[in-house]
This record gives sequence, C-alpha cells and structure tokens, in this order.
Amino acid sequence: MDLVQTEIPEGFTRSAGGGHTEEYYLNMGPQHPSTHGVLRLMVRLDGETVKEIVPHIGYIHRSIEKMAESQSLIQNIHLTDRLDYLSCHMTNLGLCLAIEQGADVGVPERAEYIRIIVCELQRIQSHLLWWGCFAMDLGALTAFLYGFDEREKITDLFEELCGARLTMNYFRPGGCVSDLPNEFIPRILKICEHMKTTLDEYDNLVSKNMIIRERTQGVGILSKERALSHGCTGPVARASGINYDVRKDEPYGIYNRFDFDVPLGATGDCYDRYTVRIEEMRQSIRILEQACKDLPDGDFRSKEKPNYKIPKDEHSFSSVETARGNFSTYVVSDGGKTPYRIKYRSPNFSHIGAINDMASGYKLADLVTVLATLDPVIPDIDR
Amino acid sequence: MSDETTAPASIPEELSQQFTNEGGFLATKLDTVINWGRSNSLWPFPFGTACCAIEFMGTVSSVFDLSRFGAELVRFSPRQADLLLVAGTITYKQAPILKQIYDQMCEPKWVVAIGACASSGGFYDCYCTVPGIDHIIPVDVYVAGCPPRPEAILESLVQIQNKIGDEKVSTTHVEASS
Amino acid sequence: MAKIIPRPQLSLLEQLYFVEVFKGMALTIKHAVRSLAKPETIPVLNYPEVQPELPAEHRSEHRLMKRADGTSRCVACYMCQTACPARCITIVAEESPDGDIEKRPATFDIDWLLCVFCGLCVEACPCDAIRMDTGKAILVEDSRDAFIANKDRLMDWSPADYPAEDIISQEAPGGLLNEQALAAMQGGMFSAGDVADVADKETC
Repeated sequence: MDLVQTEIPEGFTRSAGGGHTEEYYLNMGPQHPSTHGVLRLMVRLDGETVKEIVPHIGYIHRSIEKMAESQSLIQNIHLTDRLDYLSCHMTNLGLCLAIEQGADVGVPERAEYIRIIVCELQRIQSHLLWWGCFAMDLGALTAFLYGFDEREKITDLFEELCGARLTMNYFRPGGCVSDLPNEFIPRILKICEHMKTTLDEYDNLVSKNMIIRERTQGVGILSKERALSHGCTGPVARASGINYDVRKDEPYGIYNRFDFDVPLGATGDCYDRYTVRIEEMRQSIRILEQACKDLPDGDFRSKEKPNYKIPKDEHSFSSVETARGNFSTYVVSDGGKTPYRIKYRSPNFSHIGAINDMASGYKLADLVTVLATLDPVIPDIDR
Repeated sequence: MSDETTAPASIPEELSQQFTNEGGFLATKLDTVINWGRSNSLWPFPFGTACCAIEFMGTVSSVFDLSRFGAELVRFSPRQADLLLVAGTITYKQAPILKQIYDQMCEPKWVVAIGACASSGGFYDCYCTVPGIDHIIPVDVYVAGCPPRPEAILESLVQIQNKIGDEKVSTTHVEASS
Repeated sequence: MAKIIPRPQLSLLEQLYFVEVFKGMALTIKHAVRSLAKPETIPVLNYPEVQPELPAEHRSEHRLMKRADGTSRCVACYMCQTACPARCITIVAEESPDGDIEKRPATFDIDWLLCVFCGLCVEACPCDAIRMDTGKAILVEDSRDAFIANKDRLMDWSPADYPAEDIISQEAPGGLLNEQALAAMQGGMFSAGDVADVADKETC
C-alpha cells in the first residue's frame, strides 16, 4: 500500500498527508504547574515536536541587587535567603564568605564544621524536594508525598536550629548566630542512617520503573561542549561529563578535609541528571558523618563587630556550591555602611539558557521532563 | 458574591415568603446545605510564585495534609477552581496575569493572600513589586509570615470556610429577581 | 574522586513492567497497613485540633519586655527600627519622667503584615526589650488593619505563660544590668565581669 494516500476515502472531504502543515507558537505561560515558578516559555511546535524554545524571565524580578545598595551587609544576608530559597544556607554562606574576605574576619573551627554540617543537610533537603517534584512532573504523584515527608524531618531540625522553616538567616560573618541545640548531632546521625535505606528504596521505585526509564533515557541530551559554552555548573554540568565541583576545585571553608566523590554522567540526558543528584545525596550523607564525628568544641562565632565594613575600593568575591551549581557573590565597596554594588551569579540562569539545546527536537512532554531534571528555582534567575 | 445571577422564572407566593423572610426556614436550610457543600470541597488554585509556594506544597503534603479539609484537589486551571491562593511576590510584570486568572475564575470565588509579599509587598519597597495584591483583586483573608507556617495556611482555609458559612446564598438570588 | 555512575542494566524480571509496579504498590500498601495498625505512626499533625508545638527559637510574634514596675524596657533608641529591613517598626519617642531613663516610647507599632520575621530587631536591641518568642506563629486576619500591633498589644502577655526557669528573667531591669540576659542572648560577647564595670544606675 502506498504510504501517501492520494485517493480520499469515502466520507472524508480532505486528503491526509501530502497536505500543508504549519508550525505554531505555544505559550507555556508564567502560570503553569510545571514551570517551577514563574518562567514563561515560548515554544515553536511542529505538531508535538518542539523546534525552538525562547524563555522569558523577569516575572519575579524583585530588585534584590538594587535593594542591597540601601541595606547594610548584615541586612543583606537575609535578602540572599530569598534568592535560591531551597539552598538558602549556601547562599547566606556565599555572602558571609565575601564579607569575611573583604572585612578580614576570621572564623573559629567549630563554626566551620557547623557550616559544613548545615549546608550538606540542606543539600539533601533540596534534592529530596527535587526528587518529589521530578516524579510529580512525570505523573507519579505519590513520590511527591514521600519526598516531602522525608524533607519534614530535616525541616524540623532546622526550625530548632535557627527558628525558621525556609528563610533561615543563620550565618553571619565570623560564624553562626547561635550554637547547635542539644542532641543535634545524634539526631543528624539518625537521619543519615534512615536516609541510607530509604534512599535506596525510593531510588529503586523510580529508576527501575520502565516508564520513567523510557521517558528519561536518551531525552534532553546536553553535550559536554554545549554545557561548557552555556556556563552550566552543578549537577547539570556533571551529568554531561564536566568534572567541576566548587567544593573540590575551589574549596571554601574546610571542604578539603573531607573525603567524598563527585558523581559524573556519561551522556548528559535526563536520566544522568537524575542519577547524579541521587548519588550526590549519598555523598552528602558521607560528608555529614565525617563532619559530625570530628566536630570540635569551641566558639560558634568570632568576636562580633557592631558594623562590618569593607574598606573603600575593595572588591571581594566568593563561590559556593549550592544544590544547583556555582553561586558566586561579588561585593564592591565604597567604604560606607552599605555596599556600592553586590552582584550574584546564579547557576539557574545558565541552565535556562541551555534549555533550547536540551529540549529541541523532542516532544512537548519531554520538555516538561527536561525542565524537571534541570531543577530551576526561578527567583534565583530573576533576583 | 455577584448580584448578576439569573433569577428563577417565577416563584409561588407562599414559597417566596419563605425565601424572603429573614430566618425563613427553607432559606436557612438551603443556605446551610449549599454553604456546607462549598466550604468542604474548595478546589484551590495555587498561584505560587516564590518561597511561599514551597510552604503551600508542604501544606498539601502528608504532614499537614490539606485533604483533611476537602481541598486536596489542586486545579491548575482557573475555570475549574474556586479558591485562589496567591503565594509569593507579585511584580508589576506578573500583575496582569494575576488579574486575568482572577477574571477567568467562575463565581463563587475567594482569594487568600499568603505571606508578607502577597499581602503587603513585604520588605520589597522597590520599583517592581506590587505592594499587596489587594491593589489588583479583592482579598478575603490575609496570612502574615515570611513564609507562614503550613498551619497558618490551614487556618486561612478554616477562616474561608467560616466566611462561606456566613453567606446567604438563597436570599441573594431572590433579591435579584424582585 | 570523580566517578562516572554506571547505568544499571535491568534484569529480565525487572524489565517486565508489572513486577516493578507491584513492588511500588507493595510499598504503598505497606505504608497504608502500618498506618492502620499503628495510628501513632501516621505523620499527620491534625491542625486545628492539635496546635503546633513550636521550638523556643522559632521566630514568632513579638512582645515587649517589661521592667519590674510594669513599664516597658524600651528606651526608644530606634536601633530596632533602623535594623528592620522591612521598616515595619514605627516608634515615636517621648521624655521619660525618670531622669536616668531619658526616653521611652510614646507609640511602638509593628505592622506584622510587612514583617519578614528575620529576627534582626531582637539582635539589635541593647536592652532586651523586644523578643520574638511568643510562640504565636499563626496570624490570619481578614483586613490589613488587624495586623498592626501597638504598644498595648505587644505588652499584653503574662509571665505565667513563659517558663519559670527561664534564666533570662522576665521582669528584670534588662539590658546592661541583667548580666544573665546579656550573657545568654549575646552568646558570650560580654561576660559578667564586663557588666559589673558599667554604670551602677538603672539606665537600660
């Protein structure tokens, strides 16, 4: 039988195939359940196949960098809470490191260990939320409940530590606001033990499911060269094979004392981004156990100054590895009480720039999968 | 509640008395039933833009469990939802979209402003943030916090349910006809 | 060490889709049966029947601390108003009848709808006059005006609601003269010896 039917069967008015098809533009608007916030994607479609994507950002632009110029450095720390709110300890740490560099403030040993413990715990928390949302975007709604249930255990710990569930505001230049509460370390170790078995269980639920494998393997491939040219960092870059982790390559704090692996992927598809994040959770548990074992006694903060001032015309720069990638802070000072300019380099901005490379040529449903594995936090892009 | 609902064609005189009298038996019974149905099956539309959306997701999850109030069926289409939960900062770029979504929702509808940013602009005293969504759409309940606890979001739902319980549905319909 | 994660090859049994589906269902049924058999393992916190137990450090609604004579410890120094990033605190100062305590607040308003509950006002206060430990984190109203707390509302608390063994005394003079308060609140910045050298009159 001929593939292109030239004769029109009985009852039909127009011929199928060989006719004229058009591409059209679809607006995955800023309000959409799977855009992880307010991201607008204009998609050029040919049927169901995505030809080109143009992301529009700025729907949650809150001028945090502009407001930084009228608030003191300490007030700025709680502004960084609102950037990447799922790894807010790490963004707080980024600004604190920049201030310590510029104002020449030392950090006691115990504070360094507390910082590592709290940051790695938050990394696990952020990846748990990502895991739940990833499965939910693919349609498996139960995994969302499991992920959040586990996440609540860590949220309770943070609430006792710093008094808030999401916008923590716990680090200051020179250390932390307060010391660890009673029984904190044994509870962390209990959570680590619990996570080891549940992580395997939940991972098997998702990664051994044939449907999820079919939907993620070979989909959304980002090659190493394209990832480098877009400036991708974090799990997205590591899944494409780029061996870059700020904790290993530009260590801050005392990360060079800990023994952990950096997971890499081979092909850069969605499944690789998934396995890299699961393995990162396991490595974070490893770091936590080492840090909890070696936690020394001592001060949790060096002597507090009433006002932290960076000398005039000093620039200070720091990079931290958040759950999404390299988050850098650049502070320029004019000697006054407020900084002249603070610039934040957000990892999600580069990832959204790479979405055209990742999702073009695949179906519209694959676009949702790609966005889920990118794990964007849009306020971090718009600042 | 809008007054533009179409009134029934004709009501027998004695029945109309039961409806128009304050505290008429049939009117209050009908109100109770309708309000009970509406308040226990609110379908929320989570208009989540920023950090408060994460606390809303925590409210839906198993520890705080929004489904105990009958509101677990989050609908992402405004045509199918009746409770608009604005969680997060609304900027001037996003404001027309919020208004459009609110207009697309069918009556009856209620609005909750979750968090400092949605209620009053929070600490974003800048060129790009709307200082409270009540500049754009009418708000029924405000929830303070940055972000508010999931229990506060549940409390706002309880207050919306109490508000619905006080509504007089049947008399509004009849007044429109007379 | 960087290592490439190998992609696990599924065995024949795992490739049969239904086997994994049944395993997933088994996990769900396990959770369901465990919840039915042991209701105490259900993680749900039944608000509003069960009120949340907040830890002491939770940043909740503010309260103004009092001196032994019932007046507020606040000396209207405006440190909290300056430190507040949301500018939700509004203080109007007036002269205090006591010559040693020069100022006191005539009005002290906090707009809880603007407040971001960051705790910077508590850190900034030199007199331990404002704290965020009321434990009231559920603040839901239906009009904007109901969120503005004036001085009376902020001082409307009783010591009986707070733990008696709280070493930061509820009704002490506060500030420099309350050594224990300072040592505990500012994490050892001052020690008791430093405090004894400060002025011996009640100034804060």
